[in-house]
Amino acid sequence: MSRLNSFRELEHLREQLREQRQSIATTVMVCGGTGCKASRSQAVVDAVREELTRQGLDMKVRLCVTGCHGFCEQGPVIIIEPGNVFYCHVSPDDVFEIVYQTVANGKAIERLLYTDPISGVTARTMAEVPFYRAQDRQILSQNLNIDPCSIEDYILAGGYSALSKVLRGMTPEGVIKEIVSSGLRGRGGGGFPTGRKWTECWEAPGDEKYVICNADEGDPGAYMDRCVLEGNPHLVMEGMMIGAWAVGARKGYIYVRNEYPLAVKHSRIAVEQARKIGLLGDNILGSSFSFDVDIARGGGAFVCGESTALMASVEGKVGEPRPKDVHTVVDGLYHKPTVLNNVETWANVPSIIMNGSSWFASKGTSGSKGTKILALTGHVKNTGLVEVAMGTPIRTVVYDIGGGANNGNRVKAVQTGGPSGGCLPVDMFDLAVDFDVLYQAGSMVGSGGMVVMDEATCMVDVAKYFLNFLQDESCGKCLPCRLGIDRMLEIITDITEGRGKPEQLDLLQELADTVAQTALCGLGKTAPNPVLSTLRYFRPEYEAHINQKKCPAGVCKALVTYSIEPDKCNGCGVCLRGCVYGAISGSKKQVHVIDAELCQKCGICRSECKFDAVKVA
Amino acid sequence: MLKRVDVNIDGAIIHANKGASVLGTAIEYGICIPHLCHVPYLSDIGACRLCIVEHVVNGRSSVTTSCTLKVEEGMVIMTNTDRIRKLRRNLAELLVAQAPNSRAIQDIALRCGVKEVRYPFRNADCVLCGRCVRVCDEVWKARAIGFVGRGRDRHVDYPFGVKPEFCKKCESCIQLCPMTITPCNGPMKPGEERLCGNCESQLIIADEMVGSCVWCKLGESFACGRYV
Repeated sequence: MSRLNSFRELEHLREQLREQRQSIATTVMVCGGTGCKASRSQAVVDAVREELTRQGLDMKVRLCVTGCHGFCEQGPVIIIEPGNVFYCHVSPDDVFEIVYQTVANGKAIERLLYTDPISGVTARTMAEVPFYRAQDRQILSQNLNIDPCSIEDYILAGGYSALSKVLRGMTPEGVIKEIVSSGLRGRGGGGFPTGRKWTECWEAPGDEKYVICNADEGDPGAYMDRCVLEGNPHLVMEGMMIGAWAVGARKGYIYVRNEYPLAVKHSRIAVEQARKIGLLGDNILGSSFSFDVDIARGGGAFVCGESTALMASVEGKVGEPRPKDVHTVVDGLYHKPTVLNNVETWANVPSIIMNGSSWFASKGTSGSKGTKILALTGHVKNTGLVEVAMGTPIRTVVYDIGGGANNGNRVKAVQTGGPSGGCLPVDMFDLAVDFDVLYQAGSMVGSGGMVVMDEATCMVDVAKYFLNFLQDESCGKCLPCRLGIDRMLEIITDITEGRGKPEQLDLLQELADTVAQTALCGLGKTAPNPVLSTLRYFRPEYEAHINQKKCPAGVCKALVTYSIEPDKCNGCGVCLRGCVYGAISGSKKQVHVIDAELCQKCGICRSECKFDAVKVA
Repeated sequence: MLKRVDVNIDGAIIHANKGASVLGTAIEYGICIPHLCHVPYLSDIGACRLCIVEHVVNGRSSVTTSCTLKVEEGMVIMTNTDRIRKLRRNLAELLVAQAPNSRAIQDIALRCGVKEVRYPFRNADCVLCGRCVRVCDEVWKARAIGFVGRGRDRHVDYPFGVKPEFCKKCESCIQLCPMTITPCNGPMKPGEERLCGNCESQLIIADEMVGSCVWCKLGESFACGRYV
């Protein structure tokens, strides 16, 4: 492909590609996202390619290895157009049948279609799957038909027309005004109005400015930035280009963690392709706008998702935050004005420009506009990436899309926003996914992680887990974060191990408040949230640990004992054989007994027993 | 010509040098804000958080460190509100529980009104204030010591753990270390750490005048207003 020197050449290329594709009647889209790759979708891709060649269809059928489709639970996932046929749990052995029946003859294969476990209804097309039906997929749906390694696919799908529109007929003020009135807020966690950020950077003095894409996602259970960058890197880059043009930057960085090899690879390919075709470099599309993007790889420190730490890391320094009394929009990367936005924020920009701010602002609530991608994980039937309009109740996400708890238990709580967020109990599930609503409830939308927890979860243990995570990931620079988290963990460990005292709860509360108010950066300021929210909504659990020395959920090992209920045990001996510590005794057909001295509370006997005779209390 | 700005610190209008920090200005005018990691001739990193103040903007106050906050025209700062005193006391409590064997830290705890320590004492040798690291880098341009590790593993060390040849043996690091500034009369034995009672005379002053400056040993090395 030759360099594009004008807007007309871009449109011409799009037209050319459209003509080329006209001969292709059928497209087989295999999900190549990280979730499906883990369920060996690469083998499926190879098998499809081989089978298409063998059946002589390779010229008529396009095989497209796409980014994440969202329904990771059901991977590997294949979608066949025309017909929008949706197959799940596809193995390489099914490929012959798929190509022969569906691709060549247009017949659906019943056993590969998705059957809803609740209603028992089989969905023929993707649109009929309940998981997708309740969603509003503005960004994720763009993953569907695009090979992330192909700039042609992106251009064909209308890509870079927002950039072209901006360069052709909009002023920087106009672009910023559009973003301001769209009400877009940062998707990375803070929820800061993107328009205001751009305005401040645009107003900041200096010729040299930067834009950065923050792809240093690291919350346990969250992977939406990863999937957007892996699945559609050009979309993110187009957003960055528009932002750069609006604020007057000539250089951008995509800061992506090295643990995301596919995201690194795809964004590198995207940058090279865009450079080759002249969408990056000097005088883009014949305009006066020059811009280039570099990939900066992060070493995997959670704190490097914080803006100042990230910038230090890009500069080659130790990734530690610095005080932000002067904001990074004025004094950022290399002490120049810098706009730092999250992957998802950038990905929203092109469609706002194309469809207008009022289109974007029509979705969502008064304070939070547009859609948000959530990573639904935990004890829920349908795990995966979910994109819903802001303002959707948590209940809809957990039950209608997620399908409720996956193991017969009842859902107890949901943890939103990762380690910086909080736990909300089930009676608050009518709360909407909305920056302000969740913040007031002591949690946050955050980057969009949503971990569903069932009744077998101990909330004190959850708080302990997140404190452990944060203690490892705190940079250790400021005192409240380093020592405060350490002491909170010390107290909670005491509580879970039966050494807790009632007055420690007040100390925990006071310490958490202190850390939240005095820590240096966002990580420390939000670090107490898991503790504060569980203390607020699940205080009786803490009290049970301290006063009765009991763990109601039976999780904290020091506080539970395992025993066998005599009337349920039929002496089958499965638990006896399973116990690696030799703590179970009993002869055949007789009631077995657990020796509390020897029992290590590993839980094997409980999971092995088919008669539910092992009791934890 | 030196530019001046008017800032309001605790109700007093101060004609401060433009570009100075709030902490520096306050100390110069005799308002003592407790601090640990700040050294007048070194850069400020806001690590110890003891110098927190309330910064009131449009009627809303935010807590921030005064060492990293630059004075601006019309700024309203409150260094000694109930909220700040409570937060500072909690921070000092964390600090003294970590390193009870330093006179400087004990003084800070006293100065910030710590009456009891609710955490088990630890006997750390270092509180990671970073004074040594910065003096080595910024004054002597040696960079013979630095921070190594992250989070709970963070510690001060030589590059790769070996004392380098380019260490200038100036011993500035030792002079600035709060753990070596007049250590306590006798190191507390492990298991016997406590909030020190040897400075009881100071405790009385601190009790009577809440938020008043105790003439602490640490202030001497900080070039605190009382010593200037």
